[in-house]
Amino acid sequence: MKKVKEELPFGQTISVKGANLWYGDFHALKNIDIEIPERAVTAFIGPSGCGKSTFLKCFNRMNDLVAGCKITGKFMIGDVDIYGKTDVNELRKNVGMVFQKPNPFPMSVYENIAYGPRTFGIRKREQLDRIVEESLRGAAMWDELKDRLGKSALGLSGGQQQRLCIARALAVKPKIILMDEPTSALDPISTGKIEELCDELKTSTTIVIVTHNMQQATRISDKTGFFLLGELVEYGDTEDIFSDPKDERTERYITGRFG
Amino acid sequence: MTNTKVKEKIGRSAFTAAAILCIIAVVAIFAFLIVKSVPAFGKIGILQFMFGDNWSPDRLDSYESPLSGYYGIFTMIVGTVAATVGALLIGGVIGYFTAVFLVFFCPEKLKRVLASVINLLAGIPSVVYGFFGVVFLLPLLALFAPNNGTGLLATSIILGVMILPTVVSLSRTSLEAVPRAYYEGAVALGATHTQAVFKTVVPAARSGITASLVLGIGRALGETMAVVMVAGNSPAYPHSLFNSFRVLTANIVMEMGYAGEVQEGALVATGVVLLFFIFLVNVVFGAVSNRAVKTSAKPKKERKTSLAGVRIREFFGNIAYKLKAPYIGRAAAIVAGCFTGLALLFVVGFIFVKGVPHLIGNGYLVFGKFEFGGSRITIFPAIVTTLMTVALSLLIAVPIGVMTAIFLNEYARKGNVFVRIVRGAIDVLSGVPSIVYGLFGMITFVKLFGGSSSILSGSLTVSIMLLPTIVRSTEESLKSVADSLREGSLALGAGKMRTIFKVVLPSALSGILSAILLSMGRVVSESAPFLYTMGSVISATPHSYTDSGATLAVALYRLAGEGWHINEAYATAVVLIVLVLALNLLAEWVAARLNKKLTGDKK
Repeated sequence: MKKVKEELPFGQTISVKGANLWYGDFHALKNIDIEIPERAVTAFIGPSGCGKSTFLKCFNRMNDLVAGCKITGKFMIGDVDIYGKTDVNELRKNVGMVFQKPNPFPMSVYENIAYGPRTFGIRKREQLDRIVEESLRGAAMWDELKDRLGKSALGLSGGQQQRLCIARALAVKPKIILMDEPTSALDPISTGKIEELCDELKTSTTIVIVTHNMQQATRISDKTGFFLLGELVEYGDTEDIFSDPKDERTERYITGRFG
Repeated sequence: MTNTKVKEKIGRSAFTAAAILCIIAVVAIFAFLIVKSVPAFGKIGILQFMFGDNWSPDRLDSYESPLSGYYGIFTMIVGTVAATVGALLIGGVIGYFTAVFLVFFCPEKLKRVLASVINLLAGIPSVVYGFFGVVFLLPLLALFAPNNGTGLLATSIILGVMILPTVVSLSRTSLEAVPRAYYEGAVALGATHTQAVFKTVVPAARSGITASLVLGIGRALGETMAVVMVAGNSPAYPHSLFNSFRVLTANIVMEMGYAGEVQEGALVATGVVLLFFIFLVNVVFGAVSNRAVKTSAKPKKERKTSLAGVRIREFFGNIAYKLKAPYIGRAAAIVAGCFTGLALLFVVGFIFVKGVPHLIGNGYLVFGKFEFGGSRITIFPAIVTTLMTVALSLLIAVPIGVMTAIFLNEYARKGNVFVRIVRGAIDVLSGVPSIVYGLFGMITFVKLFGGSSSILSGSLTVSIMLLPTIVRSTEESLKSVADSLREGSLALGAGKMRTIFKVVLPSALSGILSAILLSMGRVVSESAPFLYTMGSVISATPHSYTDSGATLAVALYRLAGEGWHINEAYATAVVLIVLVLALNLLAEWVAARLNKKLTGDKK
């Protein structure tokens, strides 16, 4: 692990053609095409069980962990076919993820953030110190946490834990960050902080966020995709989707008639 | 990157290899049992062996020539069944009521004390119970018994006390698992606390209580050393409460040290019969608990009861009502609870009162140097032997056990055939009584290393025995690590090995460490697997693993049996108890402390 890794040309755009996914016999994603632009926030909305999280997890191949999951179609990140001969760990380094429930490791704040860089061979203390500070600043937490870097991350509040997880993801300098309902377990104030953070992060990172909350999608996203029963019903600029939906199902969903 | 890939590959193969080792261990034990017992069964005749009631082996008997000895174990089968039933009548009943007492009638403060006393006493070595039987129970019984007190009653009492902790702790768990709503429902209908407990909660926990009794039976069936010390061991039927009789495990211990060819085969065959009984009990238990689950799931009308059945039930129901059965139950529970606490404290207290003065007053006993032919006893060599055994057996069993658990929990796909075989192997290993391991070790390891017993052979034997506990508790603690942590690590681009070693194992550490400490306690307290694999004589302090020696528990067995150094025996028992209790307490403390650390220092 000592030698510096050769950087694969992962880009910041995501392009999917003809994606299908099965869990055993269940056809969870049906023939999805999508182009996700770089350095913008793209939101996936839709009722529970519509496949939006499943689709999100295809981008960093977390679905590989699910037994009986079969995926077809072409998933490109930049110019890399991620289901081709790609090193999955390298992919996940470039495509970070934040989960629905905060999942800090049972270690100190510092160790949590240093975990990723260490995985990729960074051992020097000064370098790690720098990365930890940068990442915490990136997640707007440095001032809150700089005095408790040695404390257990499990002692933080839920909102802090989730932002710590974002900082942890930032520490490996991902080109894309996937967020799977990152605020659904949080209070409104913490939610506000994470939304602000997304706005700042998108100047350098592509963000794809799954959300149940349509107001959240309108507040933070540039593009929105509406999923229903495993299909991508409609995808376009957020403004257009919410002001002038083309599909009747989208309209019924955003006006609150089901879901 | 290739570097990581290689690491992943090596890790995966190592974990799989560990799992395969577990299977090999089971296969080896069974191959041994079959290879050794089949000729004996053939020569003696299965029926003759099982149902013959004359056991007088001739150690010169060989497979080539006609038998001159008699090899029938029926007296011992009857003895085993009788002792087990006796143990169940005493330990099962008292244990059941003690559990009820603990959960429903015990003052909150006393509850914690009593529960931890019972848990700690589960770890007390069986030789200590046997020793207590020899020095306290037998003389007491001899006051009114026609003989020196040995026999079925003494055996049942000792076994009963030994299975108490098992029965109590498992029954308690299942009683506590009954939804509170049942109790509240009954009380809301006007039932008193006592009625609600005995009419609603206890019946709901029936299958769990049955399971605890079955585990108690398993423990009683496989118990060796304590029984050997109080049963008398003549190969005769237990035709009264006070006559010397022999159980199956005792048969193996009594004779395997000097067995001839056919005799050895017959002893292995005895082990096979014993295993058969244990598996039978487990199968019945499986059926009982399955039935309990099914009947509770089925709608009521499918359970047909004949009119006579209803009448009988009504009749007894009326009697029970008139006698105010629940209140008798409450009284029984309170009495049983007090008895259990006091009995267990008494066993320990008695030995301490007798032993501690000798321990303190006799420095030579603990720190002495062995003198050949000397009249003074020192247990220093036994302490060294014990430590050496603990070290080597854990060095073997912990890596294999932990790695097998990692394989099962982190790598294996559920329901895979190989996984099922590994799990089956672990289950089988945990059902084999310790004396059968001893027999296996004596006939394989000891022969392999040149025919003389050694600490190496003993440690190898006991390390197989430790595997199931280590695998199971490690797996439990791996399971309790949230999947979200694994996902978090993988999503950062970490590989599987890094995820396991940096995130999963540290989170599971407390469980694994306490399993290791409990295993240490087990090595310290076991004696049956060591008697003929490692030697049973206290001699010079061992210098290497090829030397033979007696562990503390084995030394206690010898000292108690010879009867010449009874004060030294008391002191040895104290040392043993302190060691085991300290290890158990340490295990609890480690688990609690690490758990606290993991949940974070909330400010």
